Amino acid sequence: MDLGVVAFWILSAIAVVSAFGVVFFKNIIYAVLSLISALIAISGLFFNLGAELVGALQILIYAVAIVVFYVLVISTVPEYKGEAVDPKYALLSAPFGFMLFMELAFVSVYGLWKSGTGIFTPQVVQEISNAKAVATMLFTKYLFPFEVASLILLVAMIGAIVLGKKDIVED
Amino acid sequence: MEILGTVIGVVVKSLIFIVGMFLAAAYLTLIERKFAGHVQQRPGPLHVGFHGLLQPIADALKVLTKEDIVPANVDRVLFYLASLLAFVPAIMILAVIPFGEPFTLFGIEIKPYITDLNVGLILALAFGSISIYGVIFAGWASNSKYPMIGGLRKAAVLIGYEVALGFAMVGPLMMAGSFSLREIVAAQDGFFGAFIWYQPIAFIVILFAILAETGRTPFDVQEAEAELVSGYNTEYSGMKFGLFPLAEWYIGTFVLSAIAVILFFGGWKGPQIFGFLSPFIWFFLKVAMMFMFFLWVHWTLPRYRVDQITEIAWKVMLPLSLLNIFITAIIILIKG
Repeated sequence: MDLGVVAFWILSAIAVVSAFGVVFFKNIIYAVLSLISALIAISGLFFNLGAELVGALQILIYAVAIVVFYVLVISTVPEYKGEAVDPKYALLSAPFGFMLFMELAFVSVYGLWKSGTGIFTPQVVQEISNAKAVATMLFTKYLFPFEVASLILLVAMIGAIVLGKKDIVED
Repeated sequence: MEILGTVIGVVVKSLIFIVGMFLAAAYLTLIERKFAGHVQQRPGPLHVGFHGLLQPIADALKVLTKEDIVPANVDRVLFYLASLLAFVPAIMILAVIPFGEPFTLFGIEIKPYITDLNVGLILALAFGSISIYGVIFAGWASNSKYPMIGGLRKAAVLIGYEVALGFAMVGPLMMAGSFSLREIVAAQDGFFGAFIWYQPIAFIVILFAILAETGRTPFDVQEAEAELVSGYNTEYSGMKFGLFPLAEWYIGTFVLSAIAVILFFGGWKGPQIFGFLSPFIWFFLKVAMMFMFFLWVHWTLPRYRVDQITEIAWKVMLPLSLLNIFITAIIILIKG
């Protein structure tokens, strides 16, 4: 059996089991731990597909930078504030969850269908390395969406600073 | 069969790297204690073996045979997991660090690295930052005040310095045009080709970031024994305790020094005066110099306050590293 196939099944199993853990653990810190495990397993899947750049960034950004903030929030917010779970929110989230799922499914299928086209065939990517392929697309074809995304992030950041700023009380 | 050969080769190589790193880390403790001793005008370990040469073995025996106390009200799973979570990613960085170019010995080609991914640097950064979960979860699992504060402080410090470290590495990357650590070394030619001459700002930022990341003294607020007893590892004992300093102070500092040497000092390049061993000797000499520099800072300077540390990270180091990217980009644009 090919090593890649073995790795795929092992990593997928870890990812699925940890994803269930995220949903079903009552202890919130265990849920976060399973989230980290799921994200790292998915990064392993990226490595298995030959997308090293995405895999490494997946660990660096999702499994560390973002989840560390979850942990910080969990550690600093008092426990009683985190425990209230209203069932009606779960109901409300179902249609949105379904929409997100459909979107992801569409993107995956569309990506699979489109993967054979374009100038970056697997051979080319192997030759010029992942980072160059991603950067070329990002700064040519997708330059405008890329800049818009960075602008949105900037706005979000400034908003967070304004919200988090304490009023200076003069006495 | 070929797959089996590859697997066995990688496993054997990894074992050599891990065992070698363990032994090296044991003796790095001795170097640190001797160095700290002489910095503070005392002899350091002196009695076990000649000038304390067998001290690491005695220490290891002591740590391994000590009674392993787990307090009653800790979160047991996380408590055990935390020390491993700090240690394993730190040693995983070794997988992407090259120690030299491939060479042929007795007709067999030997590659002194485990993998040569073309995103090696990002992966090293990623593994390095996973190990901060060890400290945070140790603080959480201990279910006690001081560890909790220590863990949170570490998280606050690391979020700032991770960002600065990542941006500071971009300067050398832009000059080399690759994420692969081997290609970065290949891009530095001769004495004046080392990136330290072209990227001094990035180097300074990275020095600060490594000190913060490995929790060495000007930035060791997560332990801060004067304020927090022993910080995040207060409740730990035995080998579970031993793994934390081993991961942070020794393996962490060593691999990050190696990365700094690769980025700024031309890695294993140097005059061929030691025959076929010269790449290794140069590499380890340079890494040892970096390591000693960190020890020197650690045992000389007093500690910053935690708010001062985060202030330096966000208000000084991050703008400096962004400025460095800007200047580097302009110079590369002009020179072509």
